[in-house]
Amino acid sequence: MKKRWKTALAPVGVAIALAGGLVFAQMRSGSYGSTNATSIEQAAAPRFAPDAKYDAGPYPSFTRELAEGDGRQEVESFCAICHSTRYITMQPPLPGATWEAEVSKMVKSYGAPIPEATAKKITSYLEGHYAPENRKE
Amino acid sequence: MERITHNVSRRSALKFLGAAGGGLALASWAQGGRALAEAPDGGKPLESFTGPGANPHWNSVGPYVMEPQKTPLILLTDRPVQVETPRHYFRTVFTPNEAFYVRWHLGEIPNSVDLAKWKLRVEGNVNKRVAFSLSDVMQKFKPVSVAAVNQCSGNSRSRLQPRVPGGQWGNGAMGNAMWTGVRLRELLDAAGVKSGSAQVQFEGLDAGAGPKGMGSNRFLKSLDLTNASLDDMIVAYLMNGEPLPVLNGFPVRLVVPGYFATYWTKSLSWIRVLETPDDNFWTKTAYRIPDTSRGTTTPEDVKAGKVKTIPIGRMPVRSFLISPDGSSKIPAGLGVTLRGIAFSGYGKVVKVEVSDDGNSWKAAELGEDHGAYSFLGWQAAWTPKTPGRYSIAVRATDEKGNVQPDEPVWNPGGYLWNKIEKQELVAGRAN
Repeated sequence: MKKRWKTALAPVGVAIALAGGLVFAQMRSGSYGSTNATSIEQAAAPRFAPDAKYDAGPYPSFTRELAEGDGRQEVESFCAICHSTRYITMQPPLPGATWEAEVSKMVKSYGAPIPEATAKKITSYLEGHYAPENRKE
Repeated sequence: MERITHNVSRRSALKFLGAAGGGLALASWAQGGRALAEAPDGGKPLESFTGPGANPHWNSVGPYVMEPQKTPLILLTDRPVQVETPRHYFRTVFTPNEAFYVRWHLGEIPNSVDLAKWKLRVEGNVNKRVAFSLSDVMQKFKPVSVAAVNQCSGNSRSRLQPRVPGGQWGNGAMGNAMWTGVRLRELLDAAGVKSGSAQVQFEGLDAGAGPKGMGSNRFLKSLDLTNASLDDMIVAYLMNGEPLPVLNGFPVRLVVPGYFATYWTKSLSWIRVLETPDDNFWTKTAYRIPDTSRGTTTPEDVKAGKVKTIPIGRMPVRSFLISPDGSSKIPAGLGVTLRGIAFSGYGKVVKVEVSDDGNSWKAAELGEDHGAYSFLGWQAAWTPKTPGRYSIAVRATDEKGNVQPDEPVWNPGGYLWNKIEKQELVAGRAN
């Protein structure tokens, strides 16, 4: 008699297990990343005096590391006179001729005080690291 | 203290594990055998640059950054500051000040302004030079308001093929605000423009480290005094009913409704009447477009020196789908609302149409009219009937009959992009 009950209950147990399985399968939950994601700190509210000065404070710098290579130092000293090197890393990979035209525009149209030999070095650095065939990051 | 103990028998524990095991098996079956822990692609960060193909993303690909008086925006460059507005801020037709994109040309941009010393000057070829404090500007002239879109000439530059150098904007170098200030005409009249004058030049508080007389030292823009839009231009001290963020041109900026933002001088401080046309770099040499239909040309024609250019001016008609943005999958059969914005620098947008097959177009319902120069909201009901990938296209028509084309634009400056925008939306099975 007892044995019969057990046999009768076995399929019920399997059914419960399967039903549990089905309930479980309609969703997936509790999954969190194992590493920290990036975040941006909130800025505290500024404290103002009721005078005539309207101050936004300094603008933050967000400069990406340039590719390692000969000419990087020249880029960092000359190009960065007027603008941060984000102007370089923000560009899409550009063909050598376009980089050459850009450097030439900086010297001729904008008056960048770059000696000719240095301008050449800067151009080859940009062609060598920021062109479609060689840009990495 | 109450102690809660879980009296779990070995048998029920086994039963639970069995159920969990079944669940795991079924879940992996439902996912077509993919590993359970695999994340959808949406969780991955964007690539750090795009190209040489076109940028496929709605926005530019830079990281989010915090600038003063701003919410996190998308970085293009940090010195001078160029940050882009993320797509979702265009869910409202007025773009919040703290999310409004920023584009400066020169590195020495103002951090602070002392209103005890600051003056707006009208000088040059005038009867009487005048200098107004902000208090004068606010009190001596009648305030007027206009809702107007401010869009960078290079908005969407990262779409061009082949790619061109310059700010690699996605679509977020634009914004719409209610600008309140005084009419430029009234300021000019207060000084008295001498007859025979040619242009009026605008200069703000920004400067650059470059040598004197070069474009890297001062940013100057001029317009012909015969330009009819001088009647529409205002010098604004309010943006959406608030003072302008310093990065958007506090204390006052020029508003040139219908025109690209290059003319909207920020932190405007000098209005100069010129006897002869301006020959400075930013007016004469920069911001020029091919004098062709839609301002489009080819790299070959540019190389061959065949391209005649003219200064950039009004903004061609554009429209955007803002939501859904593709970040969610839509169950097939579920009716959703497509929402977006449209505008044209040539006049009121009169029609916005959407298509999910590229052939048949359905008119969208247009939102509240805030004037010819504002974003116009639109919405349309859409139901993906069957599971699959849909390409939702949107096109606008303005009152002059200009319709957005499906052809790209190319010019060396990367200006005037207004090709029909498309968004892929994926509909999944609902059972």
